[in-house]
Amino acid sequence: MGTGLAIGAIFGIYSGPIETAMPRNHLASTTAACCWIPLFALRCEEARRPELTSQPSALLASDTARRLWQVSPLARRAGVKPGMTVSQAIGLCHSLRLCEPDPVHYDEQFARLLAALSEVSPVVEPAELGGAYVGTDGLGGLYGEPEGIVEEMQLRIVDCGLRIGNTGVESTIRNPQSAIRVGWGLGKFVAWVAASRAQPGGAVIVRPGDEAQFLSAQPLAVLPLDSDTHRRLRQLGLKTLGQLAALPEEAVVSQFGGAGRRLWRLAAGVAVERVVGRETPEPIVAAITFFSPVAERELLARALDQLLERALKHPRRIGWRVQVVRVRAELEHGASWLVEAILKDPSADRDRIAAPLRTRLEQAPPTGAVERLAVEFTAFAPGAADLQLFARDASAAARADRRRALRTAAREIKLRLKRSLLYHVIEVQPWSRLPERRYALIDYEP
Amino acid sequence: MKTDRLRTINTPQRVEVEVDANGMPLIVKRESGNGKRVEAVGEMWRIDDEWWRDPIARRCYEVVLDGGGRVVLYEDLISGEWFVQKP
Repeated sequence: MGTGLAIGAIFGIYSGPIETAMPRNHLASTTAACCWIPLFALRCEEARRPELTSQPSALLASDTARRLWQVSPLARRAGVKPGMTVSQAIGLCHSLRLCEPDPVHYDEQFARLLAALSEVSPVVEPAELGGAYVGTDGLGGLYGEPEGIVEEMQLRIVDCGLRIGNTGVESTIRNPQSAIRVGWGLGKFVAWVAASRAQPGGAVIVRPGDEAQFLSAQPLAVLPLDSDTHRRLRQLGLKTLGQLAALPEEAVVSQFGGAGRRLWRLAAGVAVERVVGRETPEPIVAAITFFSPVAERELLARALDQLLERALKHPRRIGWRVQVVRVRAELEHGASWLVEAILKDPSADRDRIAAPLRTRLEQAPPTGAVERLAVEFTAFAPGAADLQLFARDASAAARADRRRALRTAAREIKLRLKRSLLYHVIEVQPWSRLPERRYALIDYEP
Repeated sequence: MKTDRLRTINTPQRVEVEVDANGMPLIVKRESGNGKRVEAVGEMWRIDDEWWRDPIARRCYEVVLDGGGRVVLYEDLISGEWFVQKP
């Protein structure tokens, strides 16, 4: 995480694909607003511990506790950078305050942000933690000019209860609104570059037709570049997007291949990438709170299996295979642990779902004893055709066949054993607080 | 419906329970078989009912037993006996 973010901080976090012939999607938009809160996780910590804003501070990476993930501006001034080891950082800055990451908390805060944005537009596409695109096609009728749309976004975010940054009066980031940078333009890339150029709490709006002019003065670092490509472009004497766009497209392609074409088209402002929203799936959650905190991996793995089993039995899961599964753990002393697995081959099989989670548990286990463990299925793929039929029509399509089969089976059992031995569950006092009085069995005689 | 053919379901089974200093269940012993350790205690609640005839007073615990079984344990606060039941 630390390395990826360090690269992102230098060369920009934009990484959207070029879309040429996308199928029509009702949750898509060509005009985009990009909402970006830099150092989102660190700002979440500052909201909980205001003293951090006046001291050099850094967040540890959650996969390896020995490297830094996010670094505050004060720490950067002392030479501390993301990706450094703790010993290197302390050597440079003795007063550095280190924080254990709490990914579950950051995720909750980010979910608040996304929920607030989805009140403005149904088309919301999360990018990275702290960054999201909002499709704004058709919103002019509601909010007027792009300035009105941006203002509405900022107001919704302020009202959503998102807690980031210091709330102290002496701070320059007194409320969430002032930490947010917003960019608006045609396509995601233009919106992202505009957001990255905005002042904290401000917005940059690029009117349609002004894209090429706006982009031409921007540094190459806003492009989604790897360090090697960035170095080669610098060696060619290129510093801005305008200089790159001034080269013939085919010349860039011959040097950098397909990736070069993408870079050239982004730099020239001719690539318009749509914001694509998603239907939000209703997740299925199963959780357990341990009587005493658990640190043994074997016990955690067993609890994980049981939670997966329980979540798979949920009625809403029937007919669907699990595609994305997350495990959240609340640790002692307020820390947390979060892993997510995306199954290339969606499955409803417990062991197949558990396999990547067990690997993560072995490779990067929670850094403390676990107080509460939760499994969450957040995305699904349709099951096999017969399962789908069962799911959609469970009570209608199968009812007639089932009753007929039951009647035949009951008759056979009664003939062989002289009595039915089949029972029907009936409600007796379903409202009773005493479980044994709610239901009873009665002989089943079809 | 003939009520004489009704059979009860989820009837509480008597068990022996070892508790800790706070009264929380630690080990559950059925009449047959060895005791099982309580891995985790979920919710706790109390039921007081039918005070006008045979009063019922139970303190219930939803627990996960060693091996993964999830059951409800309750202490009959009138007789002091423990019972186990399906959730």
